[in-house]
Amino acid sequence: MASTSLSAGRRNWTFYALGAIFIAYVVFLYGPMLCIYILSFQGPQGGLAFPMRGVSLHWFRQLLGQGDTGDLMGALSRSVPLALIVMALTVLISLSAGMAFRSRFPGSGLLFYLVIASLVAPGYVLSIGIGLMFQLLGFDTNWYTSALGAQLSWTLPFGLLIMFAIFGRFSRSYEEAARDLGANQFQTMWLIVVPILLPGMIAVALFGFTLSYDEFARTLQTTGPTNTVPIEIWSMTQNVTSPSLYALGTLTTALSFVVIGTALGAIAIIQRRRLGSLTGRG
Amino acid sequence: MTALTLTPIETAAGRGAIELAGIQKRYADGTVAVDGINLRIASGTYCCLLGPSGCGKTTMLRMIAGHETPTDGEILIDGGNVVGLTPRQRGTAMMFQSYALFPHLSVRDNVAFTLRVRGIGKTERYKEADRVIEQVQLTELAQRLPAQLSGGQQQRVALARAIITRPRVLLLDEPLSALDEFLRLQMRSELRELQRQLGITFIHVTHTQLEAVAVADQVVVMDRGHVVQSDPARTVYAEPRSAYVARFMGGQNVLSGKLESVKDGLATLRGDGGQTFMLHLRGAAHSGHPRLSFSVRRDHVRLTKAAAGSAPPVNAVSGIVRAVEYQGTFVKVTLRVDGSQDKDDLFVAYVEEGDYFASPIGVADRACAAWDTEEVHALAAE
Amino acid sequence: MAASVAMTGTPAVRMARLKSFALVLPLALILLVFVVAPLVFVLAVSVFRYDNFEVIPAFTLENYESVLQSHLTLSLYGSMLKLAAITWACTLLIGFSVAGFLVFHVRNRLTAIGLFLLCTVPFWTSNVIRMISWLPLLGKQGVINQALLATGLIHAPLHILLFSDFSVVISYVHLFTIFMIVPIFNSMSRIDRSLFEAALDAGASRWHTLLFVVLPLTKSGIVLGSIFVVTLVMGDFYVVKVMSGGSDASVVSAMYDDISTLLFPHAAASAAVLMIILTIMVAAILRFVDVRKELASHR
Repeated sequence: MASTSLSAGRRNWTFYALGAIFIAYVVFLYGPMLCIYILSFQGPQGGLAFPMRGVSLHWFRQLLGQGDTGDLMGALSRSVPLALIVMALTVLISLSAGMAFRSRFPGSGLLFYLVIASLVAPGYVLSIGIGLMFQLLGFDTNWYTSALGAQLSWTLPFGLLIMFAIFGRFSRSYEEAARDLGANQFQTMWLIVVPILLPGMIAVALFGFTLSYDEFARTLQTTGPTNTVPIEIWSMTQNVTSPSLYALGTLTTALSFVVIGTALGAIAIIQRRRLGSLTGRG
Repeated sequence: MTALTLTPIETAAGRGAIELAGIQKRYADGTVAVDGINLRIASGTYCCLLGPSGCGKTTMLRMIAGHETPTDGEILIDGGNVVGLTPRQRGTAMMFQSYALFPHLSVRDNVAFTLRVRGIGKTERYKEADRVIEQVQLTELAQRLPAQLSGGQQQRVALARAIITRPRVLLLDEPLSALDEFLRLQMRSELRELQRQLGITFIHVTHTQLEAVAVADQVVVMDRGHVVQSDPARTVYAEPRSAYVARFMGGQNVLSGKLESVKDGLATLRGDGGQTFMLHLRGAAHSGHPRLSFSVRRDHVRLTKAAAGSAPPVNAVSGIVRAVEYQGTFVKVTLRVDGSQDKDDLFVAYVEEGDYFASPIGVADRACAAWDTEEVHALAAE
Repeated sequence: MAASVAMTGTPAVRMARLKSFALVLPLALILLVFVVAPLVFVLAVSVFRYDNFEVIPAFTLENYESVLQSHLTLSLYGSMLKLAAITWACTLLIGFSVAGFLVFHVRNRLTAIGLFLLCTVPFWTSNVIRMISWLPLLGKQGVINQALLATGLIHAPLHILLFSDFSVVISYVHLFTIFMIVPIFNSMSRIDRSLFEAALDAGASRWHTLLFVVLPLTKSGIVLGSIFVVTLVMGDFYVVKVMSGGSDASVVSAMYDDISTLLFPHAAASAAVLMIILTIMVAAILRFVDVRKELASHR
């Protein structure tokens, strides 16, 4: 049989070849990360590489006890609120801009290319620029001012692109129907648009939180005297040569996974509920 | 736009004859789309596969095209089994429902695509493509992309792309469904004319009865994976084999009654409302069944006003007029037949315009519809 | 200018425009303040003089002269372009294969979405952590060397695995392939499946279909992914710094060193040169595709 397998029919060799590449890629993606999660439970005598010399929480204690490392708890107490603020702003600003971008307006092309420029501009160059700007204008750089702005320049393009994808599938007739039935602008927004777009907005929130929480290059010159978690990790890579580094990696990734799991779970529940109510009423 | 004109190609006798033997298509989830179909389509025939959605007609077409493989059975084209062969080896070409024009290729490149993948050089394939494009009258649009064309123009491109390699069978999947009413009628006759010029077999899938009888030599009516009738268009319309075909083709009233007596091949039936019907039994139609169905064409009925309480004569039904629709050349009058159990069991008469307005019958009037025994067509028991 | 445009047209049109402007205002402001203005400051500082670690606002082109005349600059760009090219080729190959597998070969939509998310999840975790996770694998006593020694394929640990161009490229591919997968996945998902049947009907082989149908229709996704990967590699400093073990440097890591020694104007000039080169590269790539149509393809 020839080659319809791009759509249907029996499996052929391309399926197995591409499947093998896919599996290899997933192993390549997760394998190294698993290694450091395991190594972070290294015994007190263990080193940066295998074999494991016992299993312990020694390096986690070391990390939290501020032994040879910096101020991790302090960094967390800045990174998490910052990520939450960035998340909220990213959702609001991309939703509002996404709605405007549904129709062309004067300057929409220019603004669009500015968004793309913000996405592809080297993060560290922007970081230097923001740092210089604050310095020359006489402001102090701080995590809740300059770093917040720097991170938004990274999260907003993602948020907007996701909004484009969401609005691409969102029919304007929903809004028109709501207006037709007498809803005002805010009712239309709150009762119709937001509930329909909720899964997409959760996805934007996920990007907003995680991209901020892990943001490094743009934050480096903008966070001021106090560090965020990624910068704490960065300075550890420069001077810590113990499995504490891995322990930090495991901890921060665990937090990321909790956030990812919550977001994806929420989206899945909403989608299932919609599907359920559809089939339920036949 | 004028009709398509195409230079006829050398069509040897016996090109594009199709035979389906015991074709079955069962999907992994257990659903059976096509169940044991046997069918012959002579070469150079314009054949329509007709049926409601889900009857298996598109699956049949796709199996002939080689885009789906039958679970069982053989597909013979000009005597050779083609199951397992590629479309190219089969010598078939398909026109897809939404045309499946390559959005990134110009009209010219779309039409020349087949030649391109056969390794034919640029100059030669463009020469050939331009020839076919001229025949479908799209020369001025040859450089355009599909998105820049109207629906009718896209259809011509799809047609040109399909016929450029001179297939022996052209398969058309709902070719007219994406067009508006006006273009549909125009393209319908152009397709018929094109088939005549090319002299190859066309298999055209549709769910529209009028479209099928208008273009086809052979109409194949399908129902739930089976062929229920395969005959020339006029036969299918005028002499439906079963009540299903009669109802599906339209233009017929389907009635039934209990068999009371048979004398010299003439049967007398008793209708549910106590009416008396007569019909000629021909051959297999009477198989000792106590209940017989028959059809009467809507336009072969005489409609008269009837007094309340009067019993209808032989070969007639009476009832209350439910609807009157003016149709131009005739008037469609719908009766609710007395004594019928089913609320939807309606009788329709097409009354010629002049006759109707000579003695109009209004909604809620009582009317009697009568016909001659010669107009009665016995249906096979289902 | 935009405001004056908003004043033309009928009142209803003006109203709609004003609404659009109001809705994009927050985005526009943030991008102006945190992208455009900083880049202007970089340009300004790049023509400032500096003396004894002190920035002096006096015009000079010395910084550009020093950046452009330095052999270091040339060799940095040379090595970064090489790394970018290798990374691009690897990510394209993997990205195209993975996206193709997910879109064309996984039949169940939910499974495809699940597998797609599997590829995406690491993107939401820390890049620095993902990068250093290669250390225990590639090191002299790392997993790979141990495995190779155990199988007898080599008799002494390979040094080339870690702190080399090899480990740098591995990290880039690890971090950036997702930027290739997503846009290609998007373009592939939009291909109408009946096109494959039409191609088959025309006698196209699998190879023809790939070459004449799939590739042209995923071109925009490939272009977009290429822009991401190339700019990410060119703008990198931390992967080069850590994974090359300090032996290599990148354009941006040189800037990082400048900043550490407070040579702001020199770093700014170097940043300006990099931005110009990246703009030219992206513009060249963009000649192939209309990104706006690709990203904002709503009716």
